[in-house]
Amino acid sequence: MMKMKKIRISLQDVVPFAAFIIIFSFFAITSKGSVLSAFNLSILLDQSVMTIIVGCGALFVVAQGSIDLSVGVNLAFTSVVATWAANAAGDWLLIPVALIVGTLVGAFTGTVVSRFKVPSFMVTIAMLIGMRGIVNYIQSFISTQAIPESMMILSEPYVKYPAFLLIIIVLAYVFEFTKVGKYCKAIGENETTARFVGVPVTFMKIVAFAICGLTVGLGSLFSLSSNGGTSQQIGLFFEMKVAMAIFFGGVLVTGGTSAKLYKVLLGSFSITIIVNGLNHIGLSQTQYSQSIQGILLLLILGVTILASKKSRKSAQLPDEAEAIDEQAEEKTAHLK
Amino acid sequence: MSADIMLEIKELNKYFGPTHANKDISFTIKKGEIKGLIGENGSGKSTLISQIAGLYASDSGTMLLNGEPYSPSSPVDANNHAISIVMQELGVIGSLPAGVNVFLGRTKQFTKNGIVNLKSLNKAAAEQFKKWDLPYVPLNKLTDGMMIETRKIIELARALSVEPQLLLLDEITQSLSMNNRNKLYELINKLKSMGRSVIVISHDVEELIHITDSITVLRDGEVVGDVISNDTSADDIKRMMVGREISGDYYRDDMKPEYGDDVVVSVRNLTVPGEIEDVSFDVHESEILGFCGLSDSGIHTVGKAVYGLLKPSGGQVYLNSKELVIKKASKALRNNMAYVPKDRDNEALMIHASIHDNFNLPSLTELQGSIGYLSPGKLKKLALEMTNKLSVKCTDIYQTMDALSGGNKQKVNLGRWLAKDIKLLILDCPTRGVDVGVKAYIYSLIKEAKKNGTATILISDELTEVLGMSDRLIVMKDGRVNDVIHRDEDFTEQSVIKVMI
Repeated sequence: MMKMKKIRISLQDVVPFAAFIIIFSFFAITSKGSVLSAFNLSILLDQSVMTIIVGCGALFVVAQGSIDLSVGVNLAFTSVVATWAANAAGDWLLIPVALIVGTLVGAFTGTVVSRFKVPSFMVTIAMLIGMRGIVNYIQSFISTQAIPESMMILSEPYVKYPAFLLIIIVLAYVFEFTKVGKYCKAIGENETTARFVGVPVTFMKIVAFAICGLTVGLGSLFSLSSNGGTSQQIGLFFEMKVAMAIFFGGVLVTGGTSAKLYKVLLGSFSITIIVNGLNHIGLSQTQYSQSIQGILLLLILGVTILASKKSRKSAQLPDEAEAIDEQAEEKTAHLK
Repeated sequence: MSADIMLEIKELNKYFGPTHANKDISFTIKKGEIKGLIGENGSGKSTLISQIAGLYASDSGTMLLNGEPYSPSSPVDANNHAISIVMQELGVIGSLPAGVNVFLGRTKQFTKNGIVNLKSLNKAAAEQFKKWDLPYVPLNKLTDGMMIETRKIIELARALSVEPQLLLLDEITQSLSMNNRNKLYELINKLKSMGRSVIVISHDVEELIHITDSITVLRDGEVVGDVISNDTSADDIKRMMVGREISGDYYRDDMKPEYGDDVVVSVRNLTVPGEIEDVSFDVHESEILGFCGLSDSGIHTVGKAVYGLLKPSGGQVYLNSKELVIKKASKALRNNMAYVPKDRDNEALMIHASIHDNFNLPSLTELQGSIGYLSPGKLKKLALEMTNKLSVKCTDIYQTMDALSGGNKQKVNLGRWLAKDIKLLILDCPTRGVDVGVKAYIYSLIKEAKKNGTATILISDELTEVLGMSDRLIVMKDGRVNDVIHRDEDFTEQSVIKVMI
């Protein structure tokens, strides 16, 4: 029954798994098993939900070789506006307003990036600073920061987890099995090629940022319902957590075909475990956990990049003169 | 040893892992000699000159330069021995201006207190261009976005600026258009008259015989022939290259224009400022419409503009069957048009992605199932079928493109469109940098497409290619259509060149 099948695993794809397993085992052992308790595992999942949802959305942007650093501030903006709308005009408005506002902010970012050809890094950093001001302004005059009582139903496990699963399945489908995902990766591989083949590059960039924005809208619903409302601190440094989860999972900054959805899941869990695990072994002060997170990120990025270089090299057929020419070219590029 | 020998190579060997890329290569090159180096893709030509240029160390064997042992440790070392190279794949840095690229790695002479004096650098670069009579290049402009041809000329200027006694040219003519090729030939003659030597690699057998004194033929890493250019014929060389007789007629053998009555695409008054002006033509079903012209004639721009990649300031591209105007590449893609760009590595292919992904990219819309589902099985099937049909040499379909040879890359570049039902195929220099075997194969694919009713726009710098394949030939000059010649009229190089210039 078993047919011999050549299994293709590149080193690059192994790194996120290895990192996840090593980190998980490390904390499982040093915490004497307390990390593995059923209660803690459910906490781990809860703590990862936001990062995973928004991470999967941001993956569309990262696959194109861009980055969205405005997801944190978008989360704050969306939460505040949705809370305001729900309190002012009707409880049920919370959901559509959150989704629409999040998507619109994303689409706006995508439009600026693609139409005016400004690097996404700069656009989203500008958003990160500028929009925080708007958020603070709105918070200064809205009467309450709490969401309507009836909307707390969203945090009930029987609503939350099925919704979470559904969102991930839909995003995974769109990213891995439709033209949208393939085009995003093609743009990350080589934007000129994508354009020359006939991929609508400008449109796809707007779509990617809009999807990212939509997941921020979804994320804001999870965040609002589990916290009961907004706060001054909402969304602070969230963009960093999302970016870390994606790169931790082994997606390259250049995007392209290295972008895979499962990597975001792994990366998100790894990051959550680090924070959670440090708590369990008594290193809860942020100065430790933050420095350790930073060091680990550097380490894993280094290994991922090395691995991707290595797998690229081993893929070369040595008997092709042209392949050799390219190596020669690399060599001279160094010399220059 | 006689004094007029410049470089003597004795039993040079080079291994790449288990591959024996160069086997006991021996030959000599005299002062003032122009030597041709020819062989199929993968025969070891580039490896050989890379060793001479100091890019690779040899594994065994010796080289004698003017009687002295010579084993360059780096290209800079080779430059110090007055040997320089223009490589096959592009070697300019896009984010630097043209002038800086000329003196790349040697900007020290223009540096004062850590600051490069661009003015004196550009002046020195301009002097090089003048001295060697190279075509004009804007030295202040970034090389990004410059045409391949211009970038090649910058590389040539760089190689010449080290005052080489031995110049190595790896497939440079294929990137040049007619007029600049002639300039290159003049340049080679000038070097010869100065008593300097040149090694030229080219896939164009006729050209090589024409410009060189002697030709060394390589096959599978070995020297299989060393002949005097005047005493040989193109067929002899081809036979030596592939080791068997190959038929000479890979172009069409008929001399009649033959195509359907239906116009597939009408181009009317198409104008792209500074590139092309008022270009109008119809391309019919089953027609191969050739485009030729000198370097600033705008033939390459026509291809891009027809596929909707450039924004025209006037005119339109009209698709007759659907009665619509093509304004964007995405619209062209949706309406069964195809474009094969000249710059394979930078514009056509996702070079770090797999063969699988590259084959599928243009066909994703057609492969969609319900709710946009792209079945991995279907994608794999298409990639496997095309890989087998085109016999792309690879370990499997998940191998990355950059590991393939030029010819195999081109098979993917062109072949991925043939997986679709294409109405208009736009080809820009489809045989650039591929060997005789793949070239013949690409022509057979074009002929097959013609038989299936596809309209083809064939843009090429190779006159023999457009003459060999086209039903009608549009000759362009300074961005305008200068003449349209039918296959049964005066269809010769001489008559076309007359219109071109």
